[in-house]
Amino acid sequence: MNMLKKMTIASALIIGLSACSDDDNNVPNLDPVTSDQVTNLHAPQETDYTQNPPAASGDFVRFSFATGQTTTSDTEWDIALRGTTILVNGGTATGIAEEPSRNGNAGVYLVDDTFANVTEVNTAGFNQDSAAGLALATGSGNGWYTYDPSVMAILPTPGKVLVFRTHDGRYAKVEILSYYRDAPAVITEDIALNDLRYYTFNYVYQPNEAVTTF
Amino acid sequence: MIKKLVVSFIICFVGATIHGQDLNQTRNDSLVDGALQGETFDPIVISATRTKRQLSSLPLPTQLIDKQEITSINSMRLTDLLSEQTGLVTVSDFGGGQGIQMQGLDSQYTLILVNGLPLVGRSAGTLDLSRISVGNIRQVEIVKGASSSLYGNEALGGVINIITDTPKNGLHGTLNYRGGSNTTHDVSANLSLKNEKHGLQTFVNRFQSGGYDLIDTDQTQTVEPFDKTTANIDWSFQFNDKTSLQLTNRLYRQNQDYTASALLKGASTINEWNGMLKIDHELNPQWNTSLEWYTTRYLAQEYLNDASGALFYDNDFDQLFSRPELRTTFTPNQQTTLVSGIGLTFQRLERTDFLGTPEFYSPYAYVQYDRALNKDLNLIVGARFDQHNEYASQFSPKLALRYELSPKVSFKGSVGYGFKTPDFRQLYFDFTNATAGYTVLGYNAVATRLPELDASGELLSITVPLADFDTPLKPERSIAFNLGADFKPLRGLKIETNFFRNDIKNLIDTRVIAQKTNGQNVFSYYNVRRVFTYGSEVNFSYKITSEFKFSGGYQLLYAKDKAAVKAFDNGGVFARIDPSSPSFRLEPNDYIGLLNRSKHTANVKLFYHLKSYGLEANIRGTYRSAFGLFDTNGNTYLDRYDTMVSGFSIWDFAVNKTITKDFSLGCGIDNLLDYTDNNNLPNVPGQLMYGTLSINF
Repeated sequence: MNMLKKMTIASALIIGLSACSDDDNNVPNLDPVTSDQVTNLHAPQETDYTQNPPAASGDFVRFSFATGQTTTSDTEWDIALRGTTILVNGGTATGIAEEPSRNGNAGVYLVDDTFANVTEVNTAGFNQDSAAGLALATGSGNGWYTYDPSVMAILPTPGKVLVFRTHDGRYAKVEILSYYRDAPAVITEDIALNDLRYYTFNYVYQPNEAVTTF
Repeated sequence: MIKKLVVSFIICFVGATIHGQDLNQTRNDSLVDGALQGETFDPIVISATRTKRQLSSLPLPTQLIDKQEITSINSMRLTDLLSEQTGLVTVSDFGGGQGIQMQGLDSQYTLILVNGLPLVGRSAGTLDLSRISVGNIRQVEIVKGASSSLYGNEALGGVINIITDTPKNGLHGTLNYRGGSNTTHDVSANLSLKNEKHGLQTFVNRFQSGGYDLIDTDQTQTVEPFDKTTANIDWSFQFNDKTSLQLTNRLYRQNQDYTASALLKGASTINEWNGMLKIDHELNPQWNTSLEWYTTRYLAQEYLNDASGALFYDNDFDQLFSRPELRTTFTPNQQTTLVSGIGLTFQRLERTDFLGTPEFYSPYAYVQYDRALNKDLNLIVGARFDQHNEYASQFSPKLALRYELSPKVSFKGSVGYGFKTPDFRQLYFDFTNATAGYTVLGYNAVATRLPELDASGELLSITVPLADFDTPLKPERSIAFNLGADFKPLRGLKIETNFFRNDIKNLIDTRVIAQKTNGQNVFSYYNVRRVFTYGSEVNFSYKITSEFKFSGGYQLLYAKDKAAVKAFDNGGVFARIDPSSPSFRLEPNDYIGLLNRSKHTANVKLFYHLKSYGLEANIRGTYRSAFGLFDTNGNTYLDRYDTMVSGFSIWDFAVNKTITKDFSLGCGIDNLLDYTDNNNLPNVPGQLMYGTLSINF
């Protein structure tokens, strides 16, 4: 399960086929869509409990859909993660401690559906971070996760698909699968306390500009 | 464990048999007992109509637990008794308080009365029924279905009324002791005195236990050591054959250790006082009046010290409740009774983490018309009007009918409204969690506190505008339907059936109203949910021979949230088996319902009573089918892919032997099979062995 399976779907083929019947001379030169899984993306967070209310701090970990990797670049990132908080590289500063400055046009919205069913991007639906709040709300049931008080675990809400616009205007969809190291099938209290803040998620990245399908 | 079980069985039986051969002089007593238990005897209940009515004649679903049952099962606390009744499920809140779920409604929707007077002290919503000793209880009356037409606030799911002993002529006393596992000791003394003018009933109980621990590896105990002391004194004075006065006083004190971790230790105490003064006057044979003034105060305090002994945390909860009421009963003829009352409820709460010291005033009036339309048909119509200084007025009507088809078959049906006003916490809470950093604000505290939090820079954004809090939070309301039939097909056999449905609207829930800069949220309360519960209940009781009685009951329950049903119908709910599989859409029939509800609950009881030897024995079992305590797969709903708590049964055994007329011994084992579940049922202590001793004079 921990294996990083990499597969590339040449969905350009399908688009290419339909284009063929129109005009042979005008075949668009499209890059293949990337469909991949990221495992154990570590997004640590420090919490200072001596303050009331407790203060969260620590560097946000930045991620780029184009490379499928974390990055330290100040500009070539799409989302940034720290604990359960996910920022987008778009909009304005929210006021959270140590947030990276935004210089792209990234955005996000949530869809309630199965991952496979999300095939179209609603380009009018994107939210960006601002002083009024995060584009992706925090808190149990508000954003991507639900809190299970029985074992104090953060569970990705099933059926929540995150649709992102990247910093440079491409699109990606994400289904977060686990918040714990090696994505265990059962989260015990021990795992919830010690192995947290390791994201495992599936994503599909559409690298072609202005293409709004996955 | 089996060995332990066998040994204790042998001790119990041998002990009982040896004594059984001793004496036969208990016959006279047994005859009296027998008459009380006999088939022809129809017990009187008072809670359903606020008048004395024969249990079997009532048009409302009513259950009764009598003194005979209370003593024969050797129970100590009210929870022990209620958990064996059909359709009543003991549920514990996070503070450890044990309440009763009735017809699938949470424990905060059942009104708990002692001699018709309400108990208070629901610091987390639940009124802890283990506060109540059974040592001076004559009977417990359980009325199911919304009863706000008589009792007003909180009587949404039903009413449990505890009726205490009244003095008999002369001087009488009893001394009871039960000791057993977990270094538990329960001592009760009753003393009563009555002559033509005076009646005095006193009761003292001390219940103490070393608590118990279901996991050995951690630093804390599942239940910390505690002691609970009750003192009760009732005095009545008969001025003449028309006028009497009654004064009652009850004191309750509870101490318990409080260990939060290896380093944080402290204690909690509860002090409760109830007092009532009542004057009854018979104007003439048709008109009776009662003027009653009831006051109760409930004070709960807890603290924790750190390792150095410095105060780390403390919390106070101080509730005052006072209520004068004037009641009139008008009986123009044998077929008609008209009951009416007016009163005023005053409440005040001082509490840590509260905005101010809120006070509630609620004047009310009610009337109930009870008429035998003919010899087979009984009609009850009633209504109550409650005004409130914080909420819209509430009008709660009720209609009930009973039709006796034949001496063997009768039908009853009722429809009634119930309501529960938001409690102080839902209005005035002002709490920030010291470790996690979230904030909970009562509905009325939002307008003051949210701008303050904003001004001090703690808020990132406000998600619910302040204007939404202009209209007051509404009381939760229900409408309840009950339809039942009673059968007596054979001599000694009684079968009662009831179908119920409760629809509740404006159920209060929490939601996020603002986001904080520390990544946490501000929560407040709002009226949102609509839930419904429906199901059926069957009870039977069969006197097989003069020695054996077999009884039992079963409840089928469905409890659902209307919004959840809709969400499933719309295909908006998903689940994922584990992180290796993608999420999939759930079907409408994948929805299970509300948390902590079992679809099936049942009980069976076999009583054996050998009168000539003064020997009594019984074995009782209660069953509860699987239930969900949490949504474990993250979709916020309880569905068939969630991890459920497995169904279980608990079996109890008791034997009692009358040695002489005034002296009896007993023993027993509660939870014979030693069923425990530390994570899900910390209130089930495992197997308890005990012995009892009882002296009368």
